[in-house]
Amino acid sequence: MEMLYHQYKRRVFGMAHRIVGTSDAEEVAQEVFVRVFRGLATFRGDSALSTWIYRLTVNAALSYLARRSRRHEVGDDGLTDLPAPPATERDSALASRIEAALAQLPAGYRAILVLHDVEGLSHEECAAILECRIGTCKSQLHKARARMRELLGPDIAARVGNTD
Amino acid sequence: MTMCKTIQPRLTAYLDGELADEHGSVVRGHLRECAACRQVARDEAALRDGLRVLPPVDPPATLWAGVQAQLAAAEVADARKPRWRRAVARWASWMHWARWAPVPAMPQLAAGALVAAAAVGMLTWRAHRADGLPNRSDERPPSMAATQVPPPGQHQGLSSPPGPTGHAGPAAPADRDVTADLLAEPARTTASYEQVIEELMTLAASARDGWTDEQKTAFDAKVAALRGGITRAAPGRPQQRAERALIRALQGAIVRDDLVLASGGVR
Repeated sequence: MEMLYHQYKRRVFGMAHRIVGTSDAEEVAQEVFVRVFRGLATFRGDSALSTWIYRLTVNAALSYLARRSRRHEVGDDGLTDLPAPPATERDSALASRIEAALAQLPAGYRAILVLHDVEGLSHEECAAILECRIGTCKSQLHKARARMRELLGPDIAARVGNTD
Repeated sequence: MTMCKTIQPRLTAYLDGELADEHGSVVRGHLRECAACRQVARDEAALRDGLRVLPPVDPPATLWAGVQAQLAAAEVADARKPRWRRAVARWASWMHWARWAPVPAMPQLAAGALVAAAAVGMLTWRAHRADGLPNRSDERPPSMAATQVPPPGQHQGLSSPPGPTGHAGPAAPADRDVTADLLAEPARTTASYEQVIEELMTLAASARDGWTDEQKTAFDAKVAALRGGITRAAPGRPQQRAERALIRALQGAIVRDDLVLASGGVR
């Protein structure tokens, strides 16, 4: 069982981290692994194991955000309290700026961006995890990237030295 | 400008290489002429590449200990539950098998009852409707006649029952020939089971380092016997039953010992 944990810990924690934020990622990841270990014996194999675990992670993270939002009655999805990276770091590293912009997106956009662009899953896999149509998945990804471009400001390519 | 509004929604698919040749050519042609859209495409490509290379996030060292503690606590709580509540929980978890809905048992019970009522209603409705339709039993196997199949491209949850708000309700066009979809379903399920078996075998291979020689021998014999059963089984449901038996055996082998250890001997 520990081996299964080690196989998926980065993916589960990484997704939770990017959807709910740093401070609550551990709690969500714990819930996911407990769910995985207690549910593994009844896992029927109708989808890949990884798809099932990703789905549990996304659902756990989104449920957590919904509960947190109700508790604190904060706007949007409650990520406004996420600490922004230091200014120097934000200006110097694209990764930090992307992570900061990602934290400002609505939760659904974060989920599709993390699954498709960060984790590298196909639209078919994303649709299976998010339990939506492939077309919905594609349009959500387009909107999520457009929102990210707005948040990152114009001319991203030039600032990262990508000339084409 | 009108062209830009048409092209920009397609840029994501274009950059990800998902557009067919003809559509891709239209987008490429426009990008050659339009500096604004070219800039948008460059930015989106830079963003996509930036997302792809985000560094992985390492979980804190305390995560595994927390998981073990929660597992132990959950099992102690299980042991203290009255038998009837465990039975209700098992039934409710079966009803909500692929869903994550942290709701108490009684609402689950109510939701399950609603789903069951809807399923009975739908089957009754379909049987009633079938009486008024031409007999198509020669076009599809009788066992598949009542199966709900979503139209191509429409996704359904793993095991979500056809509830009142489900996609695949009786509103499906009566004259649509779904024979091909139905016939392809067993192959899809079998492929899915095979993938899971492969994953579980990988996990079992790593776990066996901690087993005794006797356990290894017993495990290998059981897997060989179950694999033989899969080979001998007729394609379709018999083969899937045999594959599920192997999946259960693998899950049992992987889960049993670790859970006892993880729970601190509670179970």
